[in-house]
Amino acid sequence: MAAVYKALSNGSKKSKPSTDTSTPDPTTIALLKQTRQRLLLLPSRGVTFRHRHLLNDLAALLPHARRESKLDTKTQLTQLNELADLYNCTTVLFFEARKGKDLYAWLSKPPNGPTIKFHVQNLHTMDELHFTGNCLRGSRPILSFDGAFDAAPHWRLAKEMLRQAFGVPPGARRSKPFVDHVVGFTLVGGRVWIRCYQIAETETDKSKKTDKMDKQTVEGESGGTSLVEIGPRFVLTPIVILEGSFGGPVIYENKEFVSPNAVRSELLRKKAGKFNVRARHGVETKAKLDELGLATGGKKMPRDPLDNREMFA
Amino acid sequence: MGKLKAALENNKGVDHKLEKQKKLRKQAAKRKRTAASKNEDAPQLDELDISRIDDTDTSADEKNDFDSEADEPEDPADANGVSLNAKQNGAAHTNGGAEQDDEDEEDEEAEDIPYSDIASLSSDDRGDVVPYQRLTINNHAALTASLARIALPLTSLPFSAHQTITSAAPIEIKDEEDDLTRELAFYAQSQAAVLAARAALTKEGSPFARPADYFAEMVKSEEHMGRVRARLVEDAANKKSAAEARRQRDLKKFGKAVQVAKLQERDKQKRETMEKIGSMKRKRSNALPERENENDMFDVQLDTESKKPSRSGDKDQGKTNHKRQKKNEKYGFGGKKRHAKSGDAQSTSDMRDFSAKGMKSKPFTGGRKRPGKARRASAK
Repeated sequence: MAAVYKALSNGSKKSKPSTDTSTPDPTTIALLKQTRQRLLLLPSRGVTFRHRHLLNDLAALLPHARRESKLDTKTQLTQLNELADLYNCTTVLFFEARKGKDLYAWLSKPPNGPTIKFHVQNLHTMDELHFTGNCLRGSRPILSFDGAFDAAPHWRLAKEMLRQAFGVPPGARRSKPFVDHVVGFTLVGGRVWIRCYQIAETETDKSKKTDKMDKQTVEGESGGTSLVEIGPRFVLTPIVILEGSFGGPVIYENKEFVSPNAVRSELLRKKAGKFNVRARHGVETKAKLDELGLATGGKKMPRDPLDNREMFA
Repeated sequence: MGKLKAALENNKGVDHKLEKQKKLRKQAAKRKRTAASKNEDAPQLDELDISRIDDTDTSADEKNDFDSEADEPEDPADANGVSLNAKQNGAAHTNGGAEQDDEDEEDEEAEDIPYSDIASLSSDDRGDVVPYQRLTINNHAALTASLARIALPLTSLPFSAHQTITSAAPIEIKDEEDDLTRELAFYAQSQAAVLAARAALTKEGSPFARPADYFAEMVKSEEHMGRVRARLVEDAANKKSAAEARRQRDLKKFGKAVQVAKLQERDKQKRETMEKIGSMKRKRSNALPERENENDMFDVQLDTESKKPSRSGDKDQGKTNHKRQKKNEKYGFGGKKRHAKSGDAQSTSDMRDFSAKGMKSKPFTGGRKRPGKARRASAK
């Protein structure tokens, strides 16, 4: 089937103008070479099934990704540079799981590009979301970025890195020539929200040439295509940006980021504080009762000198 | 023996109390001397320790955090982490505004206490203490340099090479907790991007939508889609059954209301009839003495309603049903049947059965006494 399509598309392409990739000028070829990206996609040890499913989803959506087995170490991440070099990968997306619950994503450009460390939150895989959207395995997505990404330098850098990680380069292995899904990156509350939609072409779009055209152009402006969500959903909070690949000086640090450990310990401490206060109150009450001579074995109140037992002793 | 000794001492004039005081004085002086000799070494040691601890503290601070505290006031430009970093990278930091901000933050920092210290306080003790935060590291120069190093030359590339659309205006979402509006904003952003991308791609002559007869492996497997479909069907069925149940409930409620209304109607009718009858009776009892007004007393309505002669036969007063009278005499004709056997004033004053002799018979107490409860129980 693919061969048939190729033959057909080649035939049709020949009639088209020179912007086509089949007959490009040498500068375009050079540029396309530049855009060639390969993504190394791998988790650390200790990922849960949801993290693993997220990785599977991403691998299905990104045909230029190379899935690697779990990395053993969490301390010597520079090993990833060698690994990327070994597999000719220009980008590394490394998911680091900690404590079997927290997931961090390292997005890096080896050998000497910058590295961004994200905290992955609100993670929902395709499997658990039950969305009806579906797309071709290996079709190239449209990347839709929020305009807020251009506001700050670290967001500009994050945008470029995400573009190179999630954008399937033209002519990637196993990629399909059609566009049928869009990946949205939106900045809300200092975090990147990632959504993936199928582009559903409705029938009105195809019957545009009928006489009802006037009626539908208003609607067809946006109503021609509707989106159906595919999944997965997740949110990335940038933590730190390093100048090197998995190392080097820190060039950006997110002050607003609160580590999940801190959140958990704060909760625990709050609980402990409650207990401490109650314990203290207990001691205070006991002391008060002692003072009043109400507690068993407590101090006896001095007898009133006008008491009968005192007077007629 | 003891007495002998005491007598001797008394003779010599020894004062015990005085001697004791002397002894104590001596001991105190001795203690003072030894303490003085020790103190010559001790304070030095203490000072040394303190200084050492202080040193380690500050060095740890400098190592851990990038903020150099107000220890080095001679170089205010150097006093924030940003410029330190800029120096490291060999790039001068040009963002003056950011520096100013950082300095301000540091001024605040001097009075603040670390967050971890606050957390241990109870909530009421905490008050409005501002916890200090780590200094922001945001090295614009290094960030832009990194970006320049890795960025693709987007302007010179055809759109089909990158397929990236950035929305012109930033997406504004007021409340990120509000799922619906948030997702709608995401949807709108992506849809706008799709429209723009489609226009750009068709302009470049790249294929966009796949033809209807193009089949290939999809991201979600057939099994997965089957599960999704089953869920949709299940949801629809659930919704339908819920709607049906609700309809039934409403019907039931309505039916009950109808029934209640009907019963009330019936009750009302009954009450009205009874009232009518009651009023009739009342009028009749009032009218009994003067029988000549009888005709007036009956309502016209009633006259029309029942032509039957009433049971008492009062209507045609002239004729008397003799047979009826006889029968009534013989069998009675209803009337009160309650309290027929209960005594009244007449029966009480009836002394026909009384005999004085009967009063003289042996007294009532002569019989055997009733045994107690326990005995009765055991006799059984």
